[in-house]
Amino acid sequence: MSDFVIIDGNEISFEPGETLLQAAKRAEIEIPTLCWDPRLEPAGACRMCLVEIEGSRLMQPACSYKAAANQVVRTQTSRVQRNREFILSLHLADTIQDRDVMEDNNPSRIHELAEVYGTAGDWTPVAKQRVGRPNDVNKFISFRPDRCILCSLCTRYCDQVEAVSAITLAGRGAHTTISTADERSLTDTTCELCGGCVDVCPTGAMTEKAAVEYGKPERELEKVRTTCNFCGVGCQIDLNIDTEANRIVKVTSPPPGTTVNDGNLCVKGRFANDFVHHEDRLTTPLVREPGGGLREATWDEALDRVVKGLQAASARHGKDSLAFISSSRCTGEENYLMQKLARAGFGTHNIHQCAAT
Amino acid sequence: MEKKGARREAILEILHDRGGLREGVSKEVHQETGVPEADIYGVGTFYHLLSDPDAGVRVCQGLSCKLADSDGLKARFDAEGKKSCFTACLGRCDMAPAFWDPDDEPPLVECALSPSSDAHAIDLAAADGTGYEALARATERGPDWVIDELEASGLTGRGGAGFPAHIKWRAVRNQAETERYVVLNADEGEPGTFKDREVILRRPHLVVEGLAIAAFALEAREIYVYVRGEFGRVKRELAAAIERARELGVLDDSVAWHLVDGHGAYICGEETALLEALEGRRGMPRMKPPFPVEKGFRGKPTLIQNVESIACVPAILNRGGTWFQEAGRTQPGSKLYCMSGHVVRPGVYEAPMGVTMAELLEMAGGVVGTLKAFSPGGASSGFLPADQIDVAMDFAALPKVGSMLGSAGVVVLNDTVDMVEAALNQAVFFEDESCGQCAPCRIGTQILRQMLERYLASGRDASTLEIVDDVSWGMCEASICGLGQAAALPLTSAMKHFPREFGVGTG
Ligand SMILES: Cc1cc2nc3c(=O)[nH]c(=O)nc-3n(C[C@H](O)[C@H](O)[C@H](O)COP(=O)(O)O)c2cc1C
Ligand code: SF4
Ligand code: SF4
Ligand code: SF4
Ligand code: FES
Repeated sequence: MSDFVIIDGNEISFEPGETLLQAAKRAEIEIPTLCWDPRLEPAGACRMCLVEIEGSRLMQPACSYKAAANQVVRTQTSRVQRNREFILSLHLADTIQDRDVMEDNNPSRIHELAEVYGTAGDWTPVAKQRVGRPNDVNKFISFRPDRCILCSLCTRYCDQVEAVSAITLAGRGAHTTISTADERSLTDTTCELCGGCVDVCPTGAMTEKAAVEYGKPERELEKVRTTCNFCGVGCQIDLNIDTEANRIVKVTSPPPGTTVNDGNLCVKGRFANDFVHHEDRLTTPLVREPGGGLREATWDEALDRVVKGLQAASARHGKDSLAFISSSRCTGEENYLMQKLARAGFGTHNIHQCAAT
Repeated sequence: MEKKGARREAILEILHDRGGLREGVSKEVHQETGVPEADIYGVGTFYHLLSDPDAGVRVCQGLSCKLADSDGLKARFDAEGKKSCFTACLGRCDMAPAFWDPDDEPPLVECALSPSSDAHAIDLAAADGTGYEALARATERGPDWVIDELEASGLTGRGGAGFPAHIKWRAVRNQAETERYVVLNADEGEPGTFKDREVILRRPHLVVEGLAIAAFALEAREIYVYVRGEFGRVKRELAAAIERARELGVLDDSVAWHLVDGHGAYICGEETALLEALEGRRGMPRMKPPFPVEKGFRGKPTLIQNVESIACVPAILNRGGTWFQEAGRTQPGSKLYCMSGHVVRPGVYEAPMGVTMAELLEMAGGVVGTLKAFSPGGASSGFLPADQIDVAMDFAALPKVGSMLGSAGVVVLNDTVDMVEAALNQAVFFEDESCGQCAPCRIGTQILRQMLERYLASGRDASTLEIVDDVSWGMCEASICGLGQAAALPLTSAMKHFPREFGVGTG
């Protein structure tokens, strides 16, 4: 016999250890969250997901409260709704109420939820006491304290998914902020610039420096799903494209749970894309002129040139004078073809892949 | 993520020994312990005695000290060129205006006490015997007898929540897990409260005996005592008493005793924040359930008890649970009440539980001036008007009038006090001491303080206070722990009882 938790009158079965949120999600009951991510230990900090539980004097966070047999849970009462409005008004007063300013780059989950659930009113903005790290010289990520809701998604991600722990909650109370040790630049810490902290941030407090500079909000960009070609893992990435200028503005990761990379990327996939529009980028093959200069050529001509050169070297110095090394950007299939080329095409076992140390 | 074997529990003590968190220190401590450098920085910046080692003399800005012109004291230090800063209640309200110099702890003056009496369970004024009869009795009759006596006594926690002690003892004892801990909460920090300090200074053997009995009854092999960082002498007295009890042969080596320093964070008095501090983390309260009796220190069953609660245990076993039960008037036991603010003899007074404010005022020599209001149980209890002096000061009657007994840190206000200023003082306290973890408390405390400042700056324009109800509702409903849940009470209670001062009605 399986156990049920009763959410808004629906009997929902659950696995031992599951939270109310997990059970509700399965039954497609919507509970809004701001500090929850399926990859992370819940923090219970934003208080957006509070629900009523029969027998409990206080409302409880669905993101961390464990489901129990025959527990009666209500997610739609006026008390629950009043709390949602309260929390959203709080966060708005503590960040930036003007949505256009807030969403200069990344979308704001607070404003999205406020649209759905409403607020308790526009409260006088809080005079903020969080400090940032204006002297952080890294080129990719900036932290904007005026947008931070201290959900700790970034620090938990860095710790629990990346296992890097480059950033931390620092200070206390109103002064609590996100920092590195001694407020150093990310590049002077263990940070791997994976950008996961940017990705999990619900407010754009952790943000892509270049995209902010570019100046077009993410919601005005078109997302094009593609496969990262920096290595063979096959991470799915979304190119965020300014269609008017036909430019990639930034790369984001698809939501966790939807693709093989589960929302994660590395520094290359997320940030190493400025080559795409770089003026020095090669867009056609080049072959060398007898005088030493380079000229544009077709693929056929260039590949012929390569084949001839390799055959000549093999004929002059023997088969094992050649060695083939494939790039770590290659997939398993490409690596297979490369060794086929070495062995069947050129008769040598000198084949290696640069990531196979 | 820290490496396996990283010595996280050691980092706060190491930071303390290094003189606090100066640049480069987190790297050194990281190399020494294996805990990530950023984590050490994050932990260090949480605790004010570590994060700002050069702040100089701490001047108390608790309400009782404010009433005694701590601003003037601070100005005097400034004039003398002595570096100083304001800090939350130092637990020296009887010596208002109090200050504390980390390099040169100021002596405690003799605190006024109720005269010794047979009716008192703790009896601060009596000599601190080293007979350890209750411990002998406990070992002779066994754990179940101890817990049954506790149950009969009706002892409820004296740290603020008033939770029945025997339920916690039994819950820990009944856990299948045999690695268990006893933790003494000596982080006394609730504004207006200084009883635990006096209990340890005057009756340290009662505390040692109570703890030894708890470890025996729960079959715990380790006892941790968490003493607030500003209580250096208190910790030394307790250490000396443990040493003495060892010499006397009443304590053997079957239980390990650890005395741990706090580092300047009121919130670490909250039991799960205290556990986080013991484990070398930022003192942010945990979500409950699970409760510490099931998953406490190191994730193991843990009994956490306040100093006064533990000190009641020997009397309960010596004189019987029923005796203790009957020692109270409206609820079980005698109780320590801390009197400060506008009273003639600030001090710690032991009285039957349920004594009235009128009686307490008499014990403390009466009000200086004319009584206007009082705060019955620390900042978290809010304010009551003078006409409530006949309410029983216990865990049941005070909530009925919108307040609570809390830690029984009673602050007395005379009619020279502006309730707006008093509410602002408490608002500043909660904002400074919020751990910052959850939004309702972190942001709510800022809103309340900033709102009161706008109210004063605007020449008392009541429209600045429009959203008090909404904000206080949410703080009370949605905060993770008792700090945020209670933080709006000083303001809302002051507004309720003194509406005119807040620009509403005619009251
Ligand atoms: C914000 C906050 C501060 C607290 N501070 C203290 C304290 O300084 N000392 C204390 O004994 N209990 C304090 N408590 C209560 C503890 O969480 C806990 O209930 C108590 O230590 C349990 O012991 P008791 O049952 O003997 O009272 C505090 C609670 C809260 C919510
Ligand atoms: S970029 Fe990655 S490694 Fe660096 S701080 Fe963010 S999450 Fe941590
Ligand atoms: S930077 Fe973003 S992810 Fe990190 S705590 Fe702030 S709001 Fe949350
Ligand atoms: S209520 Fe305040 S002190 Fe308690 S957990 Fe929340 S922020 Fe921290
Ligand atoms: S999502 Fe549950 S508290 Fe933030």
